[in-house]
Amino acid sequence: MLWSLLALFVVYPLSAMFGQAFLVDGRPSLGPLLSALGQPNHRAALANSLVLGTLVGIVGTTIGFLFAFTATRCNLPDRWVRLLDAATLLPLISPPFTTSIAFVFSFGPRGLITYELLGIKGTNVYGLASTLAAEVLTYFPIAYLALRPVLAAIGGNIEEMAFSLGSSRWRVFRTVTLPLAVPGLANAFLLLFAASLADFATPLILAGSRFPVLPTEAYLQITGLFDLKGGAVLSFLLLVPAAIVFLLQRHWVGRGHFVTVTGKAGPQSALDGVSRGARCLLVALCATVALSILYLYALLLYASVVVAFGANHALTLKHYVVIFTEGWKAIKDTLIIAFLGMPVGGLFGVLVGYLVARGEFRGRQAMELVSMANYALPGTIVGIAYLIAFNDPPIALTGGALIIVACYVFRYSPTGVRTTVALLKQIDRGIEEASRSLGAGSFTTFRRVTLPLVLPAFFAGLGVVFIRSMTAISATIFLVSIDWILITVRILENMTELSLGPAAAFSVFVIAVVMLVTTAIGALLRRLPGPPGIATVAGYGGG
Amino acid sequence: MNRSMTRRTALLAAAVAVAALVATRPTQAQDTLNAYSIWPENWARPMLEEFTKASGIKVNFLRFSSGEALARVIAEKGNPKIDVLFGGPVETFAAGVKEGVFEAYKPPSFAALPARFRHVDGMWVAIADDPLVFMTNRKFLAENKLKAPASWEDLLHPAYKNGLQMADARTSGTAVTRIFSILEVNGRDEQKAFAYMKKLRGNIQLYTKSGGGGTLPVGLGQAAGGIFFIVDALDTKAKGYDVQISFPKEGIGTAAEGIALIKGAKNSAPAKKLIDWASSPAMQSLFAVHKINFVPAHPEVKTEASLAAVLKDAKIFAIDDAYAGANRKRIVDRWVAEILP
Amino acid sequence: MAANPVSIRLVGISARFDHRVKGEVAAVDDVSLEVAPGELLTLLGPSGCGKTTTLRMIAGFQRPSAGRILIGDHDVTEVLSNDRNIGFVFQNYALFPHLGIFENVAYGLRVRRMDEAAIRRVVGDVLELVGLKGYERQMPHQLSGGEQQRVALARAIVIKPRVLLFDEPLSNLDAKLRVQMRGEIQRLQRDVGITTVYVTHDQEEAMAISDRIAVMSKGVIAQLGRAEDLYSRPASEFVARFIGRANLLRTTVLARDGARLTLGMAGQRYVVDAPESGPPVGAVAHAVIRPETILIGPADAVGAIPGRVVTRTYLGEKTEYTVTVGADTLQIVRIGAAETERFEPGAAVGIRLPAGRLHLLPEVGT
Repeated sequence: MLWSLLALFVVYPLSAMFGQAFLVDGRPSLGPLLSALGQPNHRAALANSLVLGTLVGIVGTTIGFLFAFTATRCNLPDRWVRLLDAATLLPLISPPFTTSIAFVFSFGPRGLITYELLGIKGTNVYGLASTLAAEVLTYFPIAYLALRPVLAAIGGNIEEMAFSLGSSRWRVFRTVTLPLAVPGLANAFLLLFAASLADFATPLILAGSRFPVLPTEAYLQITGLFDLKGGAVLSFLLLVPAAIVFLLQRHWVGRGHFVTVTGKAGPQSALDGVSRGARCLLVALCATVALSILYLYALLLYASVVVAFGANHALTLKHYVVIFTEGWKAIKDTLIIAFLGMPVGGLFGVLVGYLVARGEFRGRQAMELVSMANYALPGTIVGIAYLIAFNDPPIALTGGALIIVACYVFRYSPTGVRTTVALLKQIDRGIEEASRSLGAGSFTTFRRVTLPLVLPAFFAGLGVVFIRSMTAISATIFLVSIDWILITVRILENMTELSLGPAAAFSVFVIAVVMLVTTAIGALLRRLPGPPGIATVAGYGGG
Repeated sequence: MNRSMTRRTALLAAAVAVAALVATRPTQAQDTLNAYSIWPENWARPMLEEFTKASGIKVNFLRFSSGEALARVIAEKGNPKIDVLFGGPVETFAAGVKEGVFEAYKPPSFAALPARFRHVDGMWVAIADDPLVFMTNRKFLAENKLKAPASWEDLLHPAYKNGLQMADARTSGTAVTRIFSILEVNGRDEQKAFAYMKKLRGNIQLYTKSGGGGTLPVGLGQAAGGIFFIVDALDTKAKGYDVQISFPKEGIGTAAEGIALIKGAKNSAPAKKLIDWASSPAMQSLFAVHKINFVPAHPEVKTEASLAAVLKDAKIFAIDDAYAGANRKRIVDRWVAEILP
Repeated sequence: MAANPVSIRLVGISARFDHRVKGEVAAVDDVSLEVAPGELLTLLGPSGCGKTTTLRMIAGFQRPSAGRILIGDHDVTEVLSNDRNIGFVFQNYALFPHLGIFENVAYGLRVRRMDEAAIRRVVGDVLELVGLKGYERQMPHQLSGGEQQRVALARAIVIKPRVLLFDEPLSNLDAKLRVQMRGEIQRLQRDVGITTVYVTHDQEEAMAISDRIAVMSKGVIAQLGRAEDLYSRPASEFVARFIGRANLLRTTVLARDGARLTLGMAGQRYVVDAPESGPPVGAVAHAVIRPETILIGPADAVGAIPGRVVTRTYLGEKTEYTVTVGADTLQIVRIGAAETERFEPGAAVGIRLPAGRLHLLPEVGT
């Protein structure tokens, strides 16, 4: 049953895409690929995407590391740490391109910052620099979330040990902390690289015409020219680096290199991990980044309540009226889809996770790999693959809600899968055996012992599916239809039309709803019985 | 408590899963129709609401740039999901005719329309006329001591370097109309026209996905200027942005805005009613009421006075839809290959 | 509680699996064993000897690849563990982390659909028995290790299982608590009289608690018997070394007299009980002697074998020596020796091996 679902919604679309890209008149051919590579525009796009992804990976990982290091080593008061968390949470729970437009208004030729504040004329906001900056601000929180537990685990005893051997702080950092963090850093880099490869919306708004990138080109190829073959070929170009990154990451994590550091995280070292000067510098850097994020979102909030940003700054609620009247259908459709996908995705994640972790059958590894595929590949590819696979009979699903729900479920439930697997690894098999020995059959055991124990994973998975259903665009933009439209697509439409007011109002609404729902889930999770901290909700990352 | 909660969760999930599998929209009542609108929301919505008010027919619509809308209609040819393609420059409709996605239908106004506002066989009819204009930021002009551009050559001035925003031909009909305008002023000499566009490329800051995408940046001064449909340009001005509208002395194209019935439309009766209404004075006389600066296509509707004043001395020519339709794909492909990189 | 204790019989059970490198490997190889009704039998051995696998096969968590398992008169080889009516106590307790103490203990009763009032009564009784009355509403993670172990015990016995299985139940506890808990387990087992199989790698624990001990090695039972038998008459060098400490001596058979052999070593003669098919006269034989039975004294003592002290470790109630005798090194434990009687490293000493304490190994190896 699960296999057939996975086959239908993961394997089939991807093979359909390969078919589209490599079959000419039913015969395999490299023609389309070669001709796509022959176009200078596409070659440039491929190169640009790789450059952009690499830079986003490096810069984002660096900032994420700074944040994680500051949070775990600077003995900050809890309040400050929460502030850092809050600033990093915003980009994670909002549509991935919301900051782009705020960027244009801040750093353009007449930008609030470049022109009004600094008086620089004739700046060019479009291009690599601003795309990079916007993507970094959007995605570095993924690196932060990935690196924080790594640094926390390294902490305490090992560093104290090094101190006790007479190392200076800097030396400890250089010779102990950093080398131990390397696998974590590599993992964070790969996550960010993949996120950047998947993002077509930020470049669509910020890259300008001189810096074409692959996901955006593929998007335009499909939506503008409805060139499925061209889109499939460009997707394939995108798929190669994405698949390499995916396998590299698996290799790294799978070999247990990830958080190899054992020992108790223990009480935070009483020693200051950093000197006073370094601490000031770190806090200042983090504060700057956090404030930049808050500034961009403040700008967004402001734009949602003024008549016409940049021209008429009279306060108004009309944009909210607009989104709740004209935009109501998008809101309604999105909420229906999100609330449908949520429990299905949560359940699916737990089931696959359970089978992967506890099942004893051939192809367990394959199942895990397949279940991760849609998650690991850039959304543009998944969306295009779905469009190619489900646009025509035998399985014509485009136009309906099912395909959008399926897309979200199969793309974002892997978080639930991973959390379930991780949880079950923590839960000793003996607990289930204890239940068996006490006379409970396997079903009773699953229902009364296993299921309650993986409930945190269920809610974590469900939360991620909900957040992504509210905020993701890269895959589903290809799947919206006259009957089912999504808020994010409307935001992008509004942004490219530059009706900033409604776009901003929509974004604020999405952020508010997501915050509300995740807070509710968080509250529910805390009320679950069981030892505290048996599960941590993570994995909000991904585009 | 825990036990029952688990059971409830499982039940809920199962119920929802079933609901998800069967979730489709209820079959539509007879007085509903589906449309893709190429006009942006702010023009399409008031017009279609007026139509619902007048006829009692509800219109579901989704807005796409013309390239996207056309692409979707072509993709859905086997199983049309909409009944009407609403708004958008005539070259898009001409391309659609070539793809065979429309059904001929001659509304009552058909006879009254000038030749350039209707397809010979009634594959489409016009509901408005929309000339292109140059729009520049006045503060930019003042700072650079420039006059509003009055010739295509003026846009090549070095002061505009990296300063112009205009639409991307892959998605936008505005862009295609612009390219055909450039072809016309160059006597349809493609070499000359593309040579000009290559020179213009140096001054382009951004090709936008949507035709009106550059208006706000020009209004805000993020961009110096661009080429837009007058309806977008005047709206920018009306919102309070300090912009200047001007026309090139060589002339600039105007595109009839069309409407067409989709072949195989599932709600063809209400669809025809919408086409009747939109091509008649009933709708076009409402442009002025809603401050939408389209030039009416129906000869009986007067152009609103302030709009007429703007257009008074402009040299405007119609885009030849036969020529445009026949060459659209080739020209756009060439643009993508030669101008875009 | 258990009115009619039942026996457990293992008939030639094996657990084989495919190893990626080594090919087919037997974790348990053709083991047969009978546990008498009401008996506490311990499977003792180093890690990897197959003791836990054997226990898990009795519990039904793992299917034997060959052989039969009988509980009482029933062949349960094909019976699922939830239908075997066993109580299992896990090394790490395996309490349900999401259920409180009361619900943990009540779990098996709820599965059996006992009515609520009876559950309250029975669970209350059992918690009292293990000394945890008043803990009903606590969560497992709020309890100490020893308390958690008692909950695990209570949970296992409350269902009145026919057999009770322990898998290294005390190995996560500290030394003192371990001693206390093993006493409690023994008391409880005697009180309820359930046939019990107990797995441990700790020989002291095994000797303290068991009626009989099966020493396992490499998937087979090396020796089965009472603690005293194993200690004084180990069947192999492995058992000798695993149960307590042992000195292995190379001797020569000098003479044979019916059931008695005369062994020669370092110029001395020792008479020992001979195994049925003892080694022939003139052959080399290995004998075991426990460190605490060797006598150590001044070098000039009559009849002593000369040796030299290598190390001396004073441990309060006893003193341990290592002494070289010829090519051999002997461990010697001197219990409660007087302060004056000390032999410093390097000193020449005289060693005596009391004749009755020497035990000839039937074979050498394993």
